Amino acid sequence: DTVEAGTVVRGNDELERNMVRVETVALSKGLPPEVITVLLDLALSLNAGTANCTRVLKFLIPATVVPQEAIVKGVSWLCVGKMPMNAQVLFVRWVLTVFDLIDCKDDLRSIYGFIFSFVTEENLCPFICHLLYLLTMREHVHPYRVRKLLDIQAKMGRQPFLTQLLALYKVFRPDLVTLSLPSRVRTGFKNHNSTWKVALSAVQRKNKGAVLVDQSLSLDVKEKPSSRKRKLHHLAIPPLTSAFDSNSSKKVLRLQELRSFKELLENIHNIELPAQMGSLLGSALALHYLDCVQDESAFLRLNFWLGHSLQEETCGSLFHKPQDVYQSFFLPWFVFVHCSQEGFSSTESFLYKFLSVWDGCLLRPQILDLLSDIPLMPSFSVESRICFFFLCSVIECLNSMLVKWLTWHSVSASEGGLDISLNIMELVRFVGLLASEGLRLESCHVLLLNQTLAFYETVCDMFLKFSLPLIIMPPAGVFYPALFATDSVSVDRLGYIMYRYRKNLTLAKKQEQQREQTFHISRNTYKEFNRNLQAMVNSMWNSWWCVPGSEIEIDKDLIALSKVAEPWCRFDLIHHPALFSYAIEFHQRVSEIFSH
Amino acid sequence: MGKRDVQIIFLLYFFLLGVFLIIMERRGSAVNTPASRPVTRRSKSYGRSCVEAPSYFWQTPGHLAVLKIPNSRGTAKSQTITNKVDPEHIALLVKNEWKLSYITPLHHFRHTRLKSYSKHLSAFIVAEKQQGVAVEVGLEAGFKVTFSAVLGLAENDEDAETVFIQIQSKPVFAAVADAPKVVWRGWLTCVNGDLEYLRSLPPDFVSLPLFCTSGPESLTTLVKSWFERAFDCNFGCLALNSTTLNWLTALWTGCHPTCNIRHLKLAWSLPTQPPLDVSYTVNPQDAWELWNSIHPEESTDDRIDIQEVQSFINGLEAHFFRHFKIFLSAGTLVKVSTALGSAHVDGKIKIGNSDYITTLLTLLTECALLKMPA
Repeated sequence: DTVEAGTVVRGNDELERNMVRVETVALSKGLPPEVITVLLDLALSLNAGTANCTRVLKFLIPATVVPQEAIVKGVSWLCVGKMPMNAQVLFVRWVLTVFDLIDCKDDLRSIYGFIFSFVTEENLCPFICHLLYLLTMREHVHPYRVRKLLDIQAKMGRQPFLTQLLALYKVFRPDLVTLSLPSRVRTGFKNHNSTWKVALSAVQRKNKGAVLVDQSLSLDVKEKPSSRKRKLHHLAIPPLTSAFDSNSSKKVLRLQELRSFKELLENIHNIELPAQMGSLLGSALALHYLDCVQDESAFLRLNFWLGHSLQEETCGSLFHKPQDVYQSFFLPWFVFVHCSQEGFSSTESFLYKFLSVWDGCLLRPQILDLLSDIPLMPSFSVESRICFFFLCSVIECLNSMLVKWLTWHSVSASEGGLDISLNIMELVRFVGLLASEGLRLESCHVLLLNQTLAFYETVCDMFLKFSLPLIIMPPAGVFYPALFATDSVSVDRLGYIMYRYRKNLTLAKKQEQQREQTFHISRNTYKEFNRNLQAMVNSMWNSWWCVPGSEIEIDKDLIALSKVAEPWCRFDLIHHPALFSYAIEFHQRVSEIFSH
Repeated sequence: MGKRDVQIIFLLYFFLLGVFLIIMERRGSAVNTPASRPVTRRSKSYGRSCVEAPSYFWQTPGHLAVLKIPNSRGTAKSQTITNKVDPEHIALLVKNEWKLSYITPLHHFRHTRLKSYSKHLSAFIVAEKQQGVAVEVGLEAGFKVTFSAVLGLAENDEDAETVFIQIQSKPVFAAVADAPKVVWRGWLTCVNGDLEYLRSLPPDFVSLPLFCTSGPESLTTLVKSWFERAFDCNFGCLALNSTTLNWLTALWTGCHPTCNIRHLKLAWSLPTQPPLDVSYTVNPQDAWELWNSIHPEESTDDRIDIQEVQSFINGLEAHFFRHFKIFLSAGTLVKVSTALGSAHVDGKIKIGNSDYITTLLTLLTECALLKMPA
């Protein structure tokens, strides 16, 4: 390193040479911290002359960090007041540019008052406001400072930099200053880093491990469109504001001050809840925090807000909302309810009202997710005019809900949790009815049959897999379409289901006989199973599917009308339409063997 | 085209026998007034202890408060309210017509901090009127807001004290001697609120469910948004349904012996094309005699049943039908007014006489509490 770190001679030529050397190093590699301190001191004290002051400031590119003592000293030189105005402005702009590279800001914060005093200088004002904005903490906001800023506002008018700083003051101390910021009011700071931008980014690219300077301003101080406009609807998430009544002496952070998830994690025990709980649905960061909140009143507030917003909206009008309402209101709310373990009565009551008018399309995945999350739901009736794919999705989601309930039961049954077997029975019966009706209406569509059989695969194993001593047979409206289905997968699945039922029933019977447990499977269940099994065996094995006295007895003349030859063996293993493809394959294989 | 206003003002000259006949008919037939279904509202408290893992199924460890629509209520009692409440405040309440809204419970509202709330609200109003200009809280400029507590209106132990808000405007160029003009008034109250519901709320909530306002709509909106931000509450319009208006009709008529109600005016709106507005004025003495025949004054029972109220209204409607062959029950009762006050179905009331103010406010508080979200 050929950078000199010592005294610089006052002589002109030597000074000039040294300057050039330092400048080249600075623009190529950047300057180490000690050098920055020395150079800054040299420049601002005007020891090297006024012209050199601005020149030095212009090439003062740090390589790694900037020590805060340098800045503090610089501010003290500023207070001396001998620097020309353009040098002062340049210095403050430089501080702003390298702000993120300053190693520690505590000293700077402690001289907040000194920095604040420069706010009255008209030329410096925009940049000082920016600097204050970056440094301000709650303890810095005092009534006399607020008053000073308001005086300046009265003189200078609605300047965006003043508004931005005052908005920050409002976040910290809403009891001292209040401000209404609709989106059309301009806020923000002037561009400060144009002089150094290029050189700084070049140096940073070279020294790859260096801290990157953040060029943007992130704080979202603006609120949504102001309350001047009449509210077109009630589904608006309120803006994030701080409670003005907090008189906590300990240091708390507000959500608006957080920039990243990491900051949220670091300060998780120290965060103050906002004035309106509903505003937490407005940002992803806040949603994460909401999950950790343990406060009972906070949830009650949220529930009041949710319940009220939904209550004021009539269910029918929900279908005519503009698209952004769904994005901004419903999606965050559903995401929150889905991810959090906490239920809300307002969500439940809304769902029950909504389902009665739902067309099956609007926000379908979210509604179905919600449906599977609702605990211990009483029976509700779904309108039969719902469309076909919706029905499949409903059965699928009721299946996943059943699995969740059963898993919960098997886990908590030993701890003496709630007995939900009645609810499960109701659910299974309901799905049975729904599926029968649906299959009848849709002429046993294979997709619907598939979903229904998947549901019954869960149901048949309730005893063996989840230790719930409930065995419920599928109704005739499901069993027979599956038995006489035209695709082999359904028939096969039905066979599997019947096999599992048999296993469950055998085990149950054995346990009952050994008096090992306290439940009792009714005789009707056994009878039903036997009947179904008989029907299956009769049709597939005994070639006799139309047994007199069974559930599907059809008049012989009616069958004769179909003009099918030997109708009674049309559903056995050889002739079953579902297994037809296997029959053909069998013949093909056999003929291949015999042709060789 | 508009509505065709046919004012049928009919002063009923009562023939005792005639009315008795009607009443006898009613009593003879099986009057099946369907009793109101109790509507359950649940207020749950949400708690999760940190010790146990959050259960997959949300259990309700808290209290359940059930709010029922009452089938009977006490008779209207006269109360010289000025014994309990400052007469000046009463005078303010009695003067204006008030628009009603309901509020969900207020979080961290303290009656001790009313002065600070005044300062905040006035700064808020000024800031909203001048968009983008910051305003110091505490500086008196433009609007002067006063929050005051009206003590004495609360009836039972759980009622919070009424809060009265007044906004005066101080124009910038007014002379010093000019008195500031009152531009807006509002008050929040809870009178005889449902004890169980109020007790089920956590302690940092204050329930003042009824909000009455009088003044320009812009200021009302500003006050409401300030409340929403300060106390995380929510406002909604409180419309009065016909059952409430029927109750008021009966209650006010029953007061006639002790306090002359001067007239009983009912306004109906019939769904014809164009809609027909009927204004039906009844001589107070006649109305009272009709009411007395249904609910005798001498009866020791201090409570009025909804069926009695329904009979009363049916009696009035039947009489109208006899003369005009119009079924008033096909339309809706829109407004009731007596000397004691008036109530409109859109949620507007006027308090005429301070002696019966408690009864009116009890009824309105009940309506507001029924609108609380579950």
